[in-house]
Amino acid sequence: MIPAWHYNGQTATRYEVYAVAQEDGLYLDLGDGRSDVAPWGDLFWIDKRDGASVFGRKGIDGWRVGIPLPMTDLLARRLPPQSRYGGLVDKFGIWPAVAGFTALSAAVVLVLWKAPDVVAPLVPMSWEQKMGDAMVGDLGGRICDGAEGQKALDALVRRIDPKASELRVRIVNVDMVNAAALPGGQILIFRGLLQEAKNPDELAGVLGHEIGHVRNRDVMQALLRQMGLSLLLGGVGGDVGGALNSAISASYSRAAESRADGYAINLMRTANVSPLPTAGFFDRLAEGERKLGKGAVAMSYMSSHPLSDERRKVFLASARKGATYAPAVTPQQWRAIVDACANDPDVKEGDLF
Amino acid sequence: MGVGNQDQTAFEFRGDWKEFFPIAASNLLLTLVTLGVYRFWATTRERRYFWSQTRFIDDTLEWTGTGKELFLGFLMAIVALIVPVIGLQFLIQALILQGQTALAGALGVGFYFIILFLVGFATFRALRYRLSRTHWHGIRGGSEDPGFRYGLSYIWKTLVGALVLGLLIPWSMTSLWADRWNQMSFGPHRFESAPEWGGLMKRFLLLYLVPVAAVILGIVTAVSSGGGPGGLGAVVGLLVIAFYVVLPLLALGYYAAFFREVVGTLSLTTINFQFTARTKEWFLLFLGNAGLYVLALIAALIPISALGLFSGLADLQPGQDPFAQNPGLIAGMVLALIIPMSLVGPFIRYRNWRFFIRNLEATGVIDLDLLTQSQTKVGSHGEGLFDALDMGAM
Repeated sequence: MIPAWHYNGQTATRYEVYAVAQEDGLYLDLGDGRSDVAPWGDLFWIDKRDGASVFGRKGIDGWRVGIPLPMTDLLARRLPPQSRYGGLVDKFGIWPAVAGFTALSAAVVLVLWKAPDVVAPLVPMSWEQKMGDAMVGDLGGRICDGAEGQKALDALVRRIDPKASELRVRIVNVDMVNAAALPGGQILIFRGLLQEAKNPDELAGVLGHEIGHVRNRDVMQALLRQMGLSLLLGGVGGDVGGALNSAISASYSRAAESRADGYAINLMRTANVSPLPTAGFFDRLAEGERKLGKGAVAMSYMSSHPLSDERRKVFLASARKGATYAPAVTPQQWRAIVDACANDPDVKEGDLF
Repeated sequence: MGVGNQDQTAFEFRGDWKEFFPIAASNLLLTLVTLGVYRFWATTRERRYFWSQTRFIDDTLEWTGTGKELFLGFLMAIVALIVPVIGLQFLIQALILQGQTALAGALGVGFYFIILFLVGFATFRALRYRLSRTHWHGIRGGSEDPGFRYGLSYIWKTLVGALVLGLLIPWSMTSLWADRWNQMSFGPHRFESAPEWGGLMKRFLLLYLVPVAAVILGIVTAVSSGGGPGGLGAVVGLLVIAFYVVLPLLALGYYAAFFREVVGTLSLTTINFQFTARTKEWFLLFLGNAGLYVLALIAALIPISALGLFSGLADLQPGQDPFAQNPGLIAGMVLALIIPMSLVGPFIRYRNWRFFIRNLEATGVIDLDLLTQSQTKVGSHGEGLFDALDMGAM
């Protein structure tokens, strides 16, 4: 007989009782000749309170018994053990559980990281096109789709990639030195890039790079990878603006970037367009990076882009000595591309977001 | 049983941060290695500790919620509510990008109402969940009300509160508090809440008028100084002080008065509650919490700079990639930042709970024989939506 305290879960009254370990359960002498037996299997540990171990009873809300510590061996053997971290962790012990969870998490991350490489090529192109259309639409009227400019741009695309029928290359009236490949073979060229480019061959190099991303299905991979990561981080991102934004600033792996550069170089070689102006374009970008100094070095790693200087060297090295290249488009066509936005009367201007 | 006299306060917190640290540290470790899934069990362990260290009269509180039900609640919130809401948001933005502004606008207004409803609903359900998992003397609280009505009154009261240039915000805040608490019970007894908002208006008007006064004063100063650079500096200085020092302090002053009013007018049969903290105590609470962040930042910077020096980041040359040879370096730095910063959260919750209990008082008489078990339903899942909307911050 051990003195203990007890709440029966029906009223808040506290009872001073005697507890005895019996074969079928914990016997409580409630006084006045009344008693209660709680089957051993129904008892669960709650906490330690004021020098007593407190137990609850399955099926009876609020039923509690407090057994003073230290307990007799007999009681300690029959009563459930203390729980600390939660069922699974207590079962294996904290360190084995940590090791197990770490391995499991690493496997999940690896799958989420690698799966896009496998899954992306399996996504039907028609789905990807619908997705791209949903993301882009008409960009709120910011596409410079005057007939002249678009015709000249299409000519440039066909010149460097004659098989480009599934591509939709368009100029966007946003002042940003950038180009982006989006799902469904959509390629956006921003007005700022056209102002920065000195001649059509430079644009051909950048375009070839984006075509490389499309053909290698890097866009879908990056999109899937990003979805996997955001799923992992708990926030399922659902805003299209954000999705479009991150697709534009998409970080492909360094390997994917290098592959896209290689694709561009091949296209230009076949089309007999000189890679040297593109090298010059990267040289000007590299100049900016040199000014930024160490920051740019660290930043380039973060953004997973090869440094402009490295890319310049690759394009430079691909030039054939003594070759005579043909310009990507005629000067008239180039004018039409550069002025596409100025010549489109109903285009809207402004930032994208 | 008598409650609350001069000798002894009804509520007492007797936790010890040295006791709490192992809980917070093991929670962080397990949360990291499970990619965050353990956080529901971590929350449960935290609350078990806080509740078990909180004494009311002669016995401690007991948290009986589980990690599993919080996890289930989270999953349910994601599937049943968050996914449709995100889908709608996706649709609206796609419509905007495609130039269908009118339709997008109409959907946007509907979306706003849905969000308002969900915020109210989630607040109600979180309170109900917490009461239903709080046991004292084996008795728990709860509510019969599923909270849909509260969600609706949350919509219109929030809108009315904001309508008259925000002047009725004290009314909407107190009225919503009462709507919530009047539906809650402990054991067989209903909570009764009857706060008055008139007394809060003085502090609220002060909070309300200071930005207006600061702008007027700024204009007057600028005009009288003839627009010179010195005058401009004075104006900017004035505005900075008004918005970053005076305004937060006045907001705190208003909130302190609000909380004293709503807790002070709350009762459970024969027990009346009070909250004693004044603006100064709230200020010290927030100052201390901010101090924890500074402390964590210092604790993070020391190993990070040591790692940086050790790896020779200081004499890096342009064109050299600092992390290429050493991928472990970036992982080490991220961990050195994550660990101390993630320990701040648990300790802020510790301080907030301690602050709440230390300032909470109760007076009256309880008849333990009449305090019978609550007959309210116990849901099988936790405050998922509340958690998913990330509203647990306060």
